[in-house]
Amino acid sequence: MDERQRFSEAVLPYVDDALSLARWLTGNAADAEDVVQEACLRAFGAIASVQNANARAWLLAIVRNTAFSWMAKNRPKAITTTDDAGIFEQAGLEMAEPQASPEAILIRKADAAQLENAIAALPLAYREVLVLREIEDLSYREISKVLSIPVGTVMSRLARARSSLIQRIGMAGEGKAGAA
Amino acid sequence: MIKPSSWSSREESLILLNAYLDDELDAASALDVERRLAADPALRAEHDRIAELRSTLASHLSAQRASDDFKRRIAAIAEPSRDVVVALPPRPSRTYDWRQMAAAAAVAAAITAGGMYGVLRQNSGVNEIAAIVADHQRALLAAQPFDIASSDRHTVKPWFDSKLALSPQVVDLAGAGFPLAGGRVEIVDGKPVPVLVYQRRAHIISVVAVPRAGQMSSTAPALQTTKDGYSVIRWFGRDFEYFAVSDLPELELREFVSRWREVTPGG
Repeated sequence: MDERQRFSEAVLPYVDDALSLARWLTGNAADAEDVVQEACLRAFGAIASVQNANARAWLLAIVRNTAFSWMAKNRPKAITTTDDAGIFEQAGLEMAEPQASPEAILIRKADAAQLENAIAALPLAYREVLVLREIEDLSYREISKVLSIPVGTVMSRLARARSSLIQRIGMAGEGKAGAA
Repeated sequence: MIKPSSWSSREESLILLNAYLDDELDAASALDVERRLAADPALRAEHDRIAELRSTLASHLSAQRASDDFKRRIAAIAEPSRDVVVALPPRPSRTYDWRQMAAAAAVAAAITAGGMYGVLRQNSGVNEIAAIVADHQRALLAAQPFDIASSDRHTVKPWFDSKLALSPQVVDLAGAGFPLAGGRVEIVDGKPVPVLVYQRRAHIISVVAVPRAGQMSSTAPALQTTKDGYSVIRWFGRDFEYFAVSDLPELELREFVSRWREVTPGG
């Protein structure tokens, strides 16, 4: 099979997925196109190494790494979120009180903009796990490969990311209800 | 990183609950989580919230859709290049034997002054590219990368006429996704030359038009090089030699140049 054929089977079908991931990592659509284009160039350079069975996760891993080097180059401030992540990590994973369960209703009422803001506010290390799971629909094992982290870390980051989203959306929803 | 041994039972419950909702647990662990859920209303409430979050995310967050234009650009990565772009040698290669070089120079000098000019021009081309890239960088640092801002070529062309008494082709490529942003004047080789400024998303493309009076337009392949991370593509049009400079990905700059040359077959 020639390289062009491989590229059209292993990369082209997943350009939308690649854009979604890049969009969530960089925060906007124009930058996402830059990142994906560069990632696809890299992917084409490495096309001989891919097996079609895991092509999608393979491409997403390249997009993710390209996004990180792109951000390191273009906005070095955004990438220094390791401290945030550390604080986030230490904060511990707490469950809301049982009586706070009306939050489930607030979550249901959240609109797309609220969700986007809440996700964008997550530290990068948590955001990428959440996006790979909820939007790209990867399994824990695939996420662990894409990010080169152990499955246990995927699990704890995902749990924290979701707890944090629930809290943020809950608070935003309460604020809204209070103002109304 | 959190080690399993440091998980509180609460944390462990939550992490397992997430894995349960993601359908990642084996049958025995899933049963265990179901038992915990039945016995623990707080965990049950958490279960509902996470399930609600997942379904809300799924219904509200749509995946990005690549535009047709973008898909074409990506597909083009694997295509054999539409117009041949030849890498521009950055400087005369050291692999040439000096005797060959000397012989070539002697022959060139012996035949015509024009031949000699040809030998020298190689070097001046390299210097020119350095100057053009430096100017592009300076322009990006300025408040505006142009002296006249206009997306209308009928404004930009007369402006050059009035400033420099010469004007290059001003091509409208807005339809191809490269809108005109304006123009500026640059000094190359001690002479003022017109520069057209185009835009691509957040990127700026400078097209430097160096006057080469009497030069015929050429269908010769464009020459490409990079300098300080900027791509430079150089080609010949009627009466001008053009240099396109940008931090755009090479592929897009090539597309820009090939669109430009399509629009100006004679110029």
